[in-house]
Amino acid sequence: MTDVRDYLREWAMPHVLCPGCAHGTILRAFLEAVKRLELDPDKLAMVAGIGCSSRLIGYVDFCTLHATHGRAPAFATGLKLARPDMTVAVVTGDGDGLAIGGNHLIHAARRNVDLTVLLLNNSIYGMTGGQAAPTSPAGSVASTAPAGTAEAPFDACKLLEGAGASFVARVMAVDPIMSTNVMVEALSHRGFSFVEVISDCPEYFGRYNALGSGAEMLAWMARKEAGVAAALANKRYVNHVPTASDTSGLATGVFHREERPVFTGLSTQAAR
Amino acid sequence: MTEARLIQGNQACAEGALAAGCRFFAGYPITPSSEIAEHLARSLPGAGGTFVQMEDEIASLGAVIGASVGGMKAMTATSGPGFSLMQEHIGYAAMAEVPCVVVDVMRGGPSTGLPTSPSQGDVMQARWGTHGGHPAIVLAPASVAEVFELTVRAFNLAERFHTPVTVVFDEVIGHTRESVVLPDHVDIVDRRRPDGPVEGFLPKAAAADDITPLPAFGDGYRYHLTGLVYDERGFPTTDPTQTGALLERLHRKVDAYSPEIEDAETFMTEDADVIVFAYGIVARAAREAVRLAREEGVRAGLFRPVTLWPFPAKALEAAVGAARTVIAAEMNHGQMIHEVERVAASTAEIVPHLRVDGEPISPAELLAKLRERAAAQTGGRG
Amino acid sequence: MAEPVRSLLLAGVGGQGVVLASMIVAETLLRAGYDVKQSEVHGMAQRGGSVFSHIRFGPAVESPLVPEGTAEVLAAFEWAEALRWLQYVRPGGAVVADVRRVVPPGACSDRRAWLSSYPVIDATVLREREVKAHLIDATALAADLGNVRAANSVVLGALAAYLDVGRDYWESTIADLVPRGTAEVNLAAFRSGAEAPAALIDLPAPETGTGFVPARIEVNESWCKVCDICSRVCPEYCLDLDGDTRLVVVAPDACTGCRLCEMLCPDFAITIHHEGQVPALATTGAGP
Repeated sequence: MTDVRDYLREWAMPHVLCPGCAHGTILRAFLEAVKRLELDPDKLAMVAGIGCSSRLIGYVDFCTLHATHGRAPAFATGLKLARPDMTVAVVTGDGDGLAIGGNHLIHAARRNVDLTVLLLNNSIYGMTGGQAAPTSPAGSVASTAPAGTAEAPFDACKLLEGAGASFVARVMAVDPIMSTNVMVEALSHRGFSFVEVISDCPEYFGRYNALGSGAEMLAWMARKEAGVAAALANKRYVNHVPTASDTSGLATGVFHREERPVFTGLSTQAAR
Repeated sequence: MTEARLIQGNQACAEGALAAGCRFFAGYPITPSSEIAEHLARSLPGAGGTFVQMEDEIASLGAVIGASVGGMKAMTATSGPGFSLMQEHIGYAAMAEVPCVVVDVMRGGPSTGLPTSPSQGDVMQARWGTHGGHPAIVLAPASVAEVFELTVRAFNLAERFHTPVTVVFDEVIGHTRESVVLPDHVDIVDRRRPDGPVEGFLPKAAAADDITPLPAFGDGYRYHLTGLVYDERGFPTTDPTQTGALLERLHRKVDAYSPEIEDAETFMTEDADVIVFAYGIVARAAREAVRLAREEGVRAGLFRPVTLWPFPAKALEAAVGAARTVIAAEMNHGQMIHEVERVAASTAEIVPHLRVDGEPISPAELLAKLRERAAAQTGGRG
Repeated sequence: MAEPVRSLLLAGVGGQGVVLASMIVAETLLRAGYDVKQSEVHGMAQRGGSVFSHIRFGPAVESPLVPEGTAEVLAAFEWAEALRWLQYVRPGGAVVADVRRVVPPGACSDRRAWLSSYPVIDATVLREREVKAHLIDATALAADLGNVRAANSVVLGALAAYLDVGRDYWESTIADLVPRGTAEVNLAAFRSGAEAPAALIDLPAPETGTGFVPARIEVNESWCKVCDICSRVCPEYCLDLDGDTRLVVVAPDACTGCRLCEMLCPDFAITIHHEGQVPALATTGAGP
């Protein structure tokens, strides 16, 4: 294995995602992690829900389960309990994982099932056409929030840490080396590991909020300490921009790590 | 044969699942089905299986599908409100062709309805509940012993046709304790696995009998499963030819095998003038009513579909024969009666006998109905 | 006539401990009775960036900054930094330098040129400057003492040889300021530096362009969506769009093989071939 492209279903490429969408960059970073850990493709399952991020798993030559909207953590829980010999990774998005699938995600974290969840956060619903997501920064424009969203966004990492995830990290698509490093740690962690990956959506989020093309969105992403909220603050027509303190949530790194009992579904055996 | 035991319908369901090889259960507590989960929570781990209580019914069937994809026979059990939530994944399992068993212990509805009262209000939902249209196999046991038997059969059909199979019974059967002799051996069917080379494996390539092989994840065949319309590689497609072929195959897979799947019981229908159409617990009341009516000289009979879906139309047609009246008795506002009308309305009068008050239909009221219809027939002749 | 203000310059790269070394020098001079001003500049705080420190001392010091051509001694902890700050040394002054080389990590602009022009360790330039040059392989000496992190103390020892400050002041300051548990090795390193003979040493020149492997950019046009990320991130401007419809390798020879474009391409459409490692047969294109 010399090139991560060897993991791709080349006959399915190029993938369906828009030009400049960093989801593919994130997939590449993940495949670098798979390569570094020398995971056996026969024993690696990727489970995804519905949305742009979830479509990624169709392009990798592993065991891939494209589930229903938001339910990937539930499918993955069943698969992992049935096949403890497999590495099970979930790919979800901010709408898939935090809105319709929020309940499944937090309960998988609470159970501490041995899953690795990558949540690709591009701040908007891309596949359905740019609707506001539970991660859209307050004030950002979406097709269902033409004057800017009035709602406050989730901080996915704080949510998951509160839910009991035993490994919580955030990385950015613009930093593929760090992304790979953190994904290696997440995949190696025993228990539920959660990695939020900040991605872009030039086609909708970028266009609606005048943040530019994919390259430009990666550039603002690189300004980690400022992040999207500061970029939005420079857009005078965006109402309700968050204050400077609201931008602190875009820190990156491994925020939480603990060892605690992993749920295997067999624990009731002890009671007998 | 083992000795007779006094067991509850819900327990018979759990034991049937274990006998059929079920090794994974995911569920969410709901009356009146919870005893199935409770029984399996105790017994699965000792049998080398896995039990997990999920956060809701959507997740429960999701986990069941995940486990089945991993190669385990898996099931969930619920009641009306949970069955509604599961519709999403029943459709997924039908589309992606993942074997699984869903048990719906029916209670009064709609909505939260009557949690502790029997009903047969979900039988059309079991057929048409999920969006988009899909083939359905639905079994309706009428006794505790049959709950065991049909739970085993549900697994066998799911594994034979790689599709979700639903078992519906009502609160009375679920909570009734009967003396039953459970068989110490049951025939078991296992899903078809591929035997060709791993390289170039096409998971959904055309199969002569329409049943494509289903390898477990982790067994060396790497492939894609999706709820989107897919091509022979299992990969999403919007091509009309492939879309049409897939949907036709999914339906044909059940329709073409319906003679093998369909099952019905008849009781004294050969010379009957009046036939009661009933299933589940109602069929037991009907059987008693038919027996009592015969004692009074009324030529009554019973037709009981054991598979609600596919609907045993030919068997019903044959059973109705020259009968001039069919009483369709259901604990709902009239659901399966539409199938009866479709099959028999040209030769017989179809009379509804429906209850939606949470009380089971009694033999006495059916007997009265049989007398009334027989008298009407006589009067009509006179 | 008042005693003049004297100047020292310390230079190194981020991560070497330049700031601690300059604090030791300033504290030593303070303890020896001088007025001291010390000003460090570490604008590029990351590992590998240039860090330098101005130290001025005398009976009374006003300005903390060292004018060019006035430093009595330049103490450099890295070879290229010694050359970078050479013009600050006064005629007849001294350069004390560790000959270790620290190559900045990661991609930076003009990476190829930088790599191929890393200064050769050649004392000729020092001879021409008419400065006293004291080149030591401080890292090697420190390693012999058991801790490469003590290399800075070797350089400080050599620096001390050029200043008329009592050895006791140096050693007490080092003992007080170095990290707990490392006083002994740092003092030993200081002494070995102080006792090393002043010498102009020429080390074997590294090969020009060490670490550089010619690279070739391959674009799989059937996967490329012309999103412009690669052309915007390439430090060498190798890639450009042709009318927003096609990605073109406009400067193939400028590629240094940093792989930024390959890693950031969302479409797996770019392959960087390091010539000599990757067989010429490497294929792309669709099809299983």
